[in-house]
Amino acid sequence: MRKIVFFLLCIVISSQLFAQQMVTGRVTDENGAPVSNVSVIPRGGKNGTMTGADGTFTLKVDASAKTLLVSSVGMNAREIAINGNTTNYQITLTKNSANLVEVVVTSLGIIRDKRSLSYATQTLKADQFADKGEVNIINALQGKVAGVIITGASGGAGASTNINIRGISSFTGSNQPLFVIDGIPVSNDVDRTNGGPLGTLGDNQPANRAADIDMNNVESINILKGPAAAVLYGSRASAGAIIITTKKGGNGKGKAEVVANSSYSFQSAIGLPPVQNEFGQGLNGIYNPISTASWGPRFGSTPSIVNGLIPSAGGVATGPAADYRAYPNNIAEFFETGTISENSVSINGGDALRNQKFSIGNLNHIGILPNTSLKRTNVAFAANSTLGNKIKLGGGITFTNTLQNGILGGNGQSALGVLAGLSRSIDLTTSRVNGTYKNPNGSNNFVIPNTENPYFGAFENPLKSNLYRFTANTTVSYDPTTWLNISYRLGLDAYVDRRKQVFAVGSGRVPAGQVLENTIYRSEVNGDLIITATKNNLFVKGLNLTGLVGQNVNQRTFQSTQIQGDNLAIPGFYNISNATTLTNGSFENNSNRRLVGYYAQASFSYNNYLFLELTGRVDQSSTLPVEKNTYFYPSISTGFVFTDALKMNSKILSYGKIRASYAKVGRDAGPYQLSNLYVSGGYGNNVASFSFPFGTVAGFGASSTIAPITLAPEFTTSYEAGINLQFLRNRISLDVTYFDQVSRSQIINVGLAPSTGYASKTTNIGELSNKGIEVLLSGTVIKSKSLTWDVTGNFTKIKNNVVSIAPGIDNFAIPGSAFIGSVPSIKVNFPYGVIIGGTIPRSPDGERLINPATGGYQPTIAGQVLADPNPEYTLGFTNNFTYKSLSLGFTFDFTKGGQILSFTSALYKGRGVLDVTAIDRDQPRILPGVIKVGDKFVPNNIQVPAQTYWQTLGGLQSEFNVYDATVFRLRELSLGYNMPASLYKSLGLNGMRFSIFGRNLFYNAPNSIIDPAVNTQGAGNIRGLELQSAPNARTIGANLKITL
Amino acid sequence: MKYRIIILIFLVSFSSCKKYLDVNQTPNNPTSVPPSTILPNTTIALGFTVGNDLNRVTSAFSQHIAGVANQTAAYDIYNIDGSFDNQWNGEIYGGAVSNLQILISQYANTSPAYSGIAKIQLAYIFSVATDLWGDVPYSQAGTGLLNETPRFDKQEDIYLGNAGSSIVGLLDLVKSGISDLDKTSLLKPTRDDIAYAGDLTKWKRAANTLLLKLALQMSNRNAALAKSTIQSVIDGNLFINANNLDLEVPFGNSVGNQNPIFTFNNVNRTGDQMMSTRLFNLALSLNDTVRLGKFFTKPSGRFTSYDNGTTVAPPLLAARSNYNTYLTGINGEAPIRLLTNFQTQFILAEGALVLGTSGLANTYFQAGIRANMLKVGMTSAEVDGYFATNAAVVTLNAAASVEDQRKQIITQKYIAMIGNGIEAYNDYRRTGYPVLALVNNPQGDNPNVIPTRITYTPGELSRNPNAPNPRPRTDVKVWWAK
Repeated sequence: MRKIVFFLLCIVISSQLFAQQMVTGRVTDENGAPVSNVSVIPRGGKNGTMTGADGTFTLKVDASAKTLLVSSVGMNAREIAINGNTTNYQITLTKNSANLVEVVVTSLGIIRDKRSLSYATQTLKADQFADKGEVNIINALQGKVAGVIITGASGGAGASTNINIRGISSFTGSNQPLFVIDGIPVSNDVDRTNGGPLGTLGDNQPANRAADIDMNNVESINILKGPAAAVLYGSRASAGAIIITTKKGGNGKGKAEVVANSSYSFQSAIGLPPVQNEFGQGLNGIYNPISTASWGPRFGSTPSIVNGLIPSAGGVATGPAADYRAYPNNIAEFFETGTISENSVSINGGDALRNQKFSIGNLNHIGILPNTSLKRTNVAFAANSTLGNKIKLGGGITFTNTLQNGILGGNGQSALGVLAGLSRSIDLTTSRVNGTYKNPNGSNNFVIPNTENPYFGAFENPLKSNLYRFTANTTVSYDPTTWLNISYRLGLDAYVDRRKQVFAVGSGRVPAGQVLENTIYRSEVNGDLIITATKNNLFVKGLNLTGLVGQNVNQRTFQSTQIQGDNLAIPGFYNISNATTLTNGSFENNSNRRLVGYYAQASFSYNNYLFLELTGRVDQSSTLPVEKNTYFYPSISTGFVFTDALKMNSKILSYGKIRASYAKVGRDAGPYQLSNLYVSGGYGNNVASFSFPFGTVAGFGASSTIAPITLAPEFTTSYEAGINLQFLRNRISLDVTYFDQVSRSQIINVGLAPSTGYASKTTNIGELSNKGIEVLLSGTVIKSKSLTWDVTGNFTKIKNNVVSIAPGIDNFAIPGSAFIGSVPSIKVNFPYGVIIGGTIPRSPDGERLINPATGGYQPTIAGQVLADPNPEYTLGFTNNFTYKSLSLGFTFDFTKGGQILSFTSALYKGRGVLDVTAIDRDQPRILPGVIKVGDKFVPNNIQVPAQTYWQTLGGLQSEFNVYDATVFRLRELSLGYNMPASLYKSLGLNGMRFSIFGRNLFYNAPNSIIDPAVNTQGAGNIRGLELQSAPNARTIGANLKITL
Repeated sequence: MKYRIIILIFLVSFSSCKKYLDVNQTPNNPTSVPPSTILPNTTIALGFTVGNDLNRVTSAFSQHIAGVANQTAAYDIYNIDGSFDNQWNGEIYGGAVSNLQILISQYANTSPAYSGIAKIQLAYIFSVATDLWGDVPYSQAGTGLLNETPRFDKQEDIYLGNAGSSIVGLLDLVKSGISDLDKTSLLKPTRDDIAYAGDLTKWKRAANTLLLKLALQMSNRNAALAKSTIQSVIDGNLFINANNLDLEVPFGNSVGNQNPIFTFNNVNRTGDQMMSTRLFNLALSLNDTVRLGKFFTKPSGRFTSYDNGTTVAPPLLAARSNYNTYLTGINGEAPIRLLTNFQTQFILAEGALVLGTSGLANTYFQAGIRANMLKVGMTSAEVDGYFATNAAVVTLNAAASVEDQRKQIITQKYIAMIGNGIEAYNDYRRTGYPVLALVNNPQGDNPNVIPTRITYTPGELSRNPNAPNPRPRTDVKVWWAK
């Protein structure tokens, strides 16, 4: 060991002894704006550097070096002669909208020339997502990536976001992509804590863990879309991968560079249904001060005993007329002005050989719902050191503290549940202002009996989450020879989330009061040994080979422990010692899984126009039976730059490449699925329930899932073909990909006939297919000395189909919580995730059948497809204008089709709150449909009162509240200004940029009452439900970035 | 030097990983449990089944209660399609049946005390299922992978057995359970028997009363077998013949242990249902409001009822008559009563009257009324007073037809069974008593008929190819029905 140390020291010292000179400089674009992250490399030398945020660089070059190669993605590279007399170089780079040498960070952190990749990836750089008012990195990708569908749960602070790449490929496994930061997999899980008896149907929309990522510290995001791109990551990335690269130090100046970024923005709720303000509480036109509905008399009606405005008993007035008027903003005012304050400072220094970066960021997001917030602090440190020509060390550690304060949503007794369709004559705001939402003794106070005041729910039943997270990585890399590299990368991602949910005594969902202490621990340790060898001119000139073998060790550990204390003795004292029952809902849930993988890859390139790549990976998983736990899967991909090969470069077609790939990815099971288990007994649901122990008597029963006799990994097979064409000297680029992906032998808990006594058995069965097209079009419309206009657009169409489940099984519910009557399901010959419920029977012509006795509809038929949440296609469209120091960018996106079942909309109709319910209320109506007379169908002519009409259309799980989720949205708009050097120099600064931005500024959903781009259950496989949760938010703010 | 580093890396990385991967034993759940932890679970399953949603729908069909809002209001007007997945899946087949089958298959040889009780419980829960749904999975049900698509056995076969189809009928299942209880048992239930605290003789009494119930239920189809079965139970003289012998599933007063009637009506869905006006009118006509007050509350000293299916605005929540403490307990601790003394007496009364089993019908009839009145909490003086002033009500009219006397018996049984809608609904469909009118605004499969069965569940229909498809309409009578 001592020998090694001495050996290393020798290198370090000796490397200092070469004759060198210092070179400094600054790189700007055509407009004089500094360009960061430009690579500056002495020609023939190895040790280059990158420019800092102010465009400057410092570099030590050997005396023998003659030129500097200055290059950056999207710019035309230049070679600058080193002149012994000049030490400070002013270099201007011009933009090249489609630079061919575009490097991409692929699987395992391997940096590749995009040209050599034979599968679709898409890279976004920081300026495409940062500083635009979004705090969740996934949301920041919305509208920008082809093949990816992103839907946020809501605009609530920290609410999770669902992301699916190329559709859903696993019936019941996670379909979220793998998140990788600087080469190590990190958690993007959503941990849910029950919101009372409704379980996760009524929770607070907790964050997905990607929300812990500080976007200010992110350099680029690369999206690996298909199995071919992600195959080296193995099972983990079968739903694609999001590769995040953080900013690194090394500005080359030898002194610290400090960048400070500060933004402040405001949020407001959008997408609230329009309300009427003509009628208040009551039914059938008669005032009732405790009614939840707004079918009372018209405001301004003369008070009488008949219309209920004069209280009476036995026909005799008993008091003065009611104070009866509209509170037009009682719903809207519940949503507050949210604020997002974000500040970060980063300090980096060093050069390409040795560099360090320290950053600290703080986010303080006060949500649009009362008593909600997301507060996050990130501290990160990273350093890289080249200890000579042969060994490099690098590492980084990030600490994150995320505090989320959420309030419960969902049907029934929750702030948002009660707020949906709140009667027009209820004065809600005053109870907030005066604090009268609770009585002096702390109990709930609301005009509607047995109903929670929304403010009581918000302030008295919150959920607080306090998360500490460490993410660390370290890499040792060693070059024994010039063509061989051996590196080991070790990563750790671990967090503890301590949560506390309280229910006040007298709360709607848990009247006896409850304290819930939930501690969630998750960690992942990942080690990769990667050996790469490069051989140029193999066998023939121009044939280059890069070979890679590697080994991966991965362990994921999870623990969630919960103590649920019921029956609080002392109101308002939320300590577990205050509970008299501690056994309901208390649990300990552990899991530990390990995976060992071996992989190899051979990449051939011939004259840089013909590419072939072969990959294989063998995984061994702890979760599968020993005899089936080792499994192999390969990929092959090939690309051909025909314009180069055929020398057909023309002014019109400047670049053309076709590519094709085949890949297979295996996926293991969840832990502990191999043996039959017993579970503590429990019965019932949110309306009545029982759980063991019963006093001191324990009760166990067989788990509802039967373990498999044997179990094999599941496989997804993918075929992908694509073409990339660039026109007019690469000013226009078109990239089209078609993919056809089939997932077979799914490991699922397939539904059993309930009369077997069991809900499901774990087995390999079923088939799910995804076919799709992704189109990415980018171009530079205008390019002049002072003005450029860049456009990028993307299009995604995915057709998902459940090909088969199991013999005799037509459908089963997606695991998770659901209301009976609207169950997100997997159904044969339908896309994944259709919502199954009851629909009204129809005539052969498709008209709804009317019950001739009532004029209402015939009872619904259960077990029908009520809604399909899968969109037909999505479009995104981004424009960027740059005029001198000004830049303007905006992104539109458009989602066509898909459906959402909206409980909120149902309540607005059924309770007579929606604006249109006030129109001609005194007039009878006829429900559209037909009456069966004999064997004929005649149009319905039975008149019903307006109230009956709207109540019929306002059934919570009715087909009338399934909305087409087509929506057009101005996703983001930003206007930036690079302050002139004269200004910031006078302040002693090296750069200054000011921008204003807006998100969600405008949307148009022609067929929906609410903004349909919400998803109550958040990230996960259940989509298309809006169960009285928070609306979306609009954000407007400003950002200032200063470089010292 | 460099090779040493390479070798070191390989050694570390490629060392044996067999043990490393051996981490798949769950620390979360046991893989085997003693029978003393299963029996409480199955017992609660029976109580929960009888007290929860099936009780609500049958209490609405029987017009004990009227639905005011949500599901109960839909049930009230016969809109039940798509319901009862939780009952069929979670309570009956996945709660009781599967675990009872484990007790029977694992302990019949070594500890027949457990398998004996299990067979009695199994017969009880299957009777609930077949009485409500008609043909149901029975002989192949609850055994997991042994039968992945259980056959729907005919109700006739479920009651009587069918050797050709390898079906042991309910009557024989109960008898088999009784004989198990006589065998030597390694393990015996004690406090884990939450109903009878390990008293196996009481279980035999319950089993014999269950035989009485099953025999009478199928008596329309096989009167001779019904008669002989009832007579042999009478002759054996070991059945529930005192209120303190009733088979009751206990519940507790702490959150999570409360009975489902309480948690539904008093905690989670306080506004969904209330006393039916039709029941109220019946009790008024029989001058039986003291007893009614034990079943239903009298806010501010007066009953407030609601007519089934009406659309008029319901009374204020605080004014509504809802289940009283006999059924809910003060705080959820009332038991769910599965087999009772008063039920036995009414069965024996009907047997004596209609089938000619031994004993005097009127004696049993009066014993049944008295047992129930005392059970619900009336004092002896109140009961005596009622008997004194309402002699015509509490005495079978010997001059009237057998059918009219049966109507008297069932009417009294109907009142006694308030809170157990399943038995009231079974008797109604078996005898047609009490005579019930259609609700207001009826809907459902056939708005002209009070449903004669409930609908198969979406879960079973979509996952069992043996399920009758399309499902029978709710106006198709079950096998034993009148």
